[in-house]
Amino acid sequence: MFDLPNFSIPIYVFLFVFAAYMLFYVLYALFNIYHLIRYGVYGLGLYLIVTIFTGGTIILVAGSVFLLMDYDWLHPITFGDAVDYYNEDLFPNL
Amino acid sequence: MMRLDRLPNQRPDERVVLFLRRHWFAILSIATAFTLLTSVPLLLGWFFWDTVQGWTEQEVLGPIIVIIGSIYFLSVWLFAFLEFTDYYLDTWIITSERIINIEQQGLFNRTASELDLASVQDTTAEIRGIWQTLFTYGNVFVQTGGEKARFHFKNIDNPEHVKELINALVEEDKQRLSMLGAGGKGKMKTMIK
Repeated sequence: MFDLPNFSIPIYVFLFVFAAYMLFYVLYALFNIYHLIRYGVYGLGLYLIVTIFTGGTIILVAGSVFLLMDYDWLHPITFGDAVDYYNEDLFPNL
Repeated sequence: MMRLDRLPNQRPDERVVLFLRRHWFAILSIATAFTLLTSVPLLLGWFFWDTVQGWTEQEVLGPIIVIIGSIYFLSVWLFAFLEFTDYYLDTWIITSERIINIEQQGLFNRTASELDLASVQDTTAEIRGIWQTLFTYGNVFVQTGGEKARFHFKNIDNPEHVKELINALVEEDKQRLSMLGAGGKGKMKTMIK
């Protein structure tokens, strides 16, 4: 048998994935708002739609940031100990 | 921004008779999909709260679950609004002189076309299936002369009424044009004299 190299990376690498997604989200959201404002019919309804979309986005992003703040992002993921993550604690009710 | 009192290429004395979007059933479909996609994971999370709480408290699994959850709910929100934008920007405007068809397909494709009421030869209203019959919505096809494609009013409310309205406006427009033509000839005659 062979031994796996016991290297580790901090869990903040997942934040890069989240940041990449947020970049995609912001681009698409801006395109969406641009289309609504550029081609939508002038009126209160249009402003209401843009406000609801922007407000919903702000609430979701704020909620995500609030939940993510509690974690220790410097905690390492050690690949040699990866098997330890799949333990009985994952399904305590089973 | 488009203003109904200032249409593109607006003609003198042209007035907007009807502004149409797809039937509200389209909105109901988006709302139902959105509700299902958000409520099912939330209900599952609530039902298995002890397990989920155990996962989120773990130092490695916790942040991954929160990030995946955030991406999921943001995607559902974005998807719902993209679909809504598609619905909102698909419009048909019937004026006293022409029909304007503006169609949005996704975020990057947009088609705007118009036709004069005088060139309309035939209109067809179509209601198909149980849902369209129950909620009185369907399609209207407007056929012009020549080989041009038909104008298609997709899933609009009360297509029979819209068809009758277009027919009445076409007759009105033809009468107006023939009167203008007669008036024009009269003027020409007066000038020749």
